[in-house]
Amino acid sequence: MKSVRLWFKKDGLAVYISHLDMNRCMTRAVRRAEIPLWYTEGFNPHPYMTFLMPLPLGQVGMREPLDIRIEGEMSFGEIKKRLNAVMPEGIEIIDVAKPECKPNAIAAAEYEIIAEFANEGEAQGFALGAASLIEGGVLNAEKRSKRGIKTVNLCEMVRKFEAEAKGNEVFITTILAAGNTVNLNAELLLSALLSQFGAETENTVIVRTKLLQENLSIFE
Amino acid sequence: MYPKKLEKFLLKVQKPGRYTGGELNSVVKDKSKVDIRYAFCFPDTYEIGMSHLGMKILYSLVNAREDAWCERVFAPWTDMEAVMRENDILLYGLESGDEIRNFDILGFTMQYELSYTNVLNMLDLAGLPLRSKDRTSLTPVVIAGGACVCNAEPMAEFFDITLPGDGEEVTNELIDLLKEYKAKGASKQEFLQAAAQIKGVYVPSLYEVEYNEDNTVKSVNPTCGAPEKVEKRNVADLDSMFSPSEFVVPFLEVVHDRTTVEIFRGCIRGCRFCQAGFLNRPLRRKSPEVVEAQCKAICDSTGYDEISLCSLSTSDYKGLEKLITNMLPWTIEEKINIALPSLRADNFPKELMEKLNAVRRSGLTFAPEAGTQRLRDVINKNITEKEVLTTAAQAFSGGWTAVKLYFMIGLPTETEEDIEGIANLAQAVVDEYYKNPDKPKGKSVSVSISVASLVPKPFTPFQWEPQDKPDVLIEKQNYLVSCVKTRKVNVSRHVPWTSFLEGVFARGDRRLADVIETAWRKGCKFDGWAECLKPDMWEESFAENGIDPYFYTARRREYDEILPWDHMDYGVTKKFLVNENKKAHKGETTACCREKCAGCGANKLNGGVCDEIGKTVV
Ligand code: SF4
Repeated sequence: MKSVRLWFKKDGLAVYISHLDMNRCMTRAVRRAEIPLWYTEGFNPHPYMTFLMPLPLGQVGMREPLDIRIEGEMSFGEIKKRLNAVMPEGIEIIDVAKPECKPNAIAAAEYEIIAEFANEGEAQGFALGAASLIEGGVLNAEKRSKRGIKTVNLCEMVRKFEAEAKGNEVFITTILAAGNTVNLNAELLLSALLSQFGAETENTVIVRTKLLQENLSIFE
Repeated sequence: MYPKKLEKFLLKVQKPGRYTGGELNSVVKDKSKVDIRYAFCFPDTYEIGMSHLGMKILYSLVNAREDAWCERVFAPWTDMEAVMRENDILLYGLESGDEIRNFDILGFTMQYELSYTNVLNMLDLAGLPLRSKDRTSLTPVVIAGGACVCNAEPMAEFFDITLPGDGEEVTNELIDLLKEYKAKGASKQEFLQAAAQIKGVYVPSLYEVEYNEDNTVKSVNPTCGAPEKVEKRNVADLDSMFSPSEFVVPFLEVVHDRTTVEIFRGCIRGCRFCQAGFLNRPLRRKSPEVVEAQCKAICDSTGYDEISLCSLSTSDYKGLEKLITNMLPWTIEEKINIALPSLRADNFPKELMEKLNAVRRSGLTFAPEAGTQRLRDVINKNITEKEVLTTAAQAFSGGWTAVKLYFMIGLPTETEEDIEGIANLAQAVVDEYYKNPDKPKGKSVSVSISVASLVPKPFTPFQWEPQDKPDVLIEKQNYLVSCVKTRKVNVSRHVPWTSFLEGVFARGDRRLADVIETAWRKGCKFDGWAECLKPDMWEESFAENGIDPYFYTARRREYDEILPWDHMDYGVTKKFLVNENKKAHKGETTACCREKCAGCGANKLNGGVCDEIGKTVV
């Protein structure tokens, strides 16, 4: 039995697959690909499969990790080839590798956000306002956690924030806390910012580009 | 693929995966290279439609043709409907995102009477006139198949064509014909007249219906050369019949998400309330080798880890043991479960059962349907109390602690004693548990009884019977609950109003078209969903159109009355049904087909052959 880390991209139609549904979807893909999966013992054996960082519904993931366990020999190249042959539209295996970092080493994630506004003025206003607000260090919002809803200062979970307006659109690059202990959903940050300015977007695209460790080096 | 316009709303509706398409094995073709675009329309939610085997068969069957492209369309849930109406987005095919009003065929599957308003809603969302006569161009042709079209009369104004019986062969013939008529620029009327000549095609507009003063049907007159009787289509050989090797694999969790393969069509049992049992006669069987190969192909192309072998009564399949024994090695190897729905636990080898885990997974269920032997004889349900108790005892000794029993109320000749009998039978099952010396310590037994209400249906021996009114059903339900003396038995009941509406449409006639349209205009849709059903709107709609709904449900019909569906021929003769009805009232049973052919007449559809009686012509 050995652990294998699959890195996949999720975009296009696949962004509408919820995290729960992803589990089923990937289990079936791995079965179709006839990857020699390792199954848990017991009355109802199931394959070992863990998504390290759930991706919220509607967001694009450029490089998302999924750990599986296999039994017997199969090269990483072969696994990748087989999986890509059976993947539904919008999900692509970019890489198959040995897990380098422990799952709990994930501490942050980088996002690229495109927010489209009704006009240039609004976009400009938002880009400037948002950047200075984050710099100011206080942006309180209600956050749902396992222990209920509480008010938190989102800025404490923002490690980088840049916003630039081009035409109607604002391009944001940001690094946010991610992982089991503290985690900030990019959508929550965006909606908190929007409500500060009473602004509304016409359309938004949120892309998670990479997962990072505490020292902001790449999570592998 | 959804229309671009929809993109920004997708995250605002529940379960956007219902509307995006792009699932594994969904078929995308080059539209410039096909002649016929077919929208398979399911008048309920994505989750229900995607669980339906008929859809999977026809989807693959049409897409197997190079000249046609079949896409899926489901009824959008109310939140999505609001988005579509507000933003002028018309109903589209999930594969292309193209508006279905420009397609050639819209094919609805009608499994349930309470989805009639959803059909109207979908036509409207597609931007099409509701009534056949108002859609004047040749395409789209709006067709319908499924159990409900055995009496399509309530929907006769809306559908151009219905297809009684098996859809596999006739769908292809209809596509061929439409292709030809489209190419020669024919009119809709010309096409419909030609279509009516195909066996298993009913064109409602070619029949004139006259009524008597008491609103019963006086006569049904075919015009333009349409046949006097429309014989349902029957696929004789299931082994060579088209069957899909791929299923579209949904991302969302749907009701049944697994490999499903039919093992036979029809039923040998002859339960008198069961419409499916009569509509699908004669019995035709798929051979175990074919079933196994089909299961394997679908598992391979989908990655499913469950197989359901489906039929109306799985344990009646000759060769079940052999089939399971052959399948076990590879299914165990690939960690695939085999589920056997509608299995009668009593005549299935125990060792095989244990290997299958079938019972453990689906729970132990029985369908005695009635509480006393007398009433079970009336409905011809041949399961005895002793069989239920013996099997339950066996299961209890194997460690099971939960049993589910299915019953019906509102059956002909039913008395208080029969209803009490339901509670007594449940109690007897509980007692059986406590008789078991090695029952698990500290664990209690749970017996749930589910009570449905009888809806008399066309082409069953009960098609002449009055249906209990909702208030009577509620009284009976309450009486049943009062008869249950222990908390170990819990009763779940159906909504009587739902059965009432289902009953109106099941045995309705063409005069109901206006009622359905009025109700839809008042906002009725998803009537089968308790949270959406609006009884007051329906009552208003009946009243506004001067229709007494009890005319259809509460009245005993005479044997010689012309029934609105009499011009449909499902093989089973009226004479046979009359005889069965009389026997029911006398409490006489009819042996199952395997013991003795009852001469129902359905074998004539198969050239005199019936799987159960071999080549003998009855
Ligand atoms: S013809 Fe006879 S054996 Fe065949 S379905 Fe009818 S009653 Fe049963």
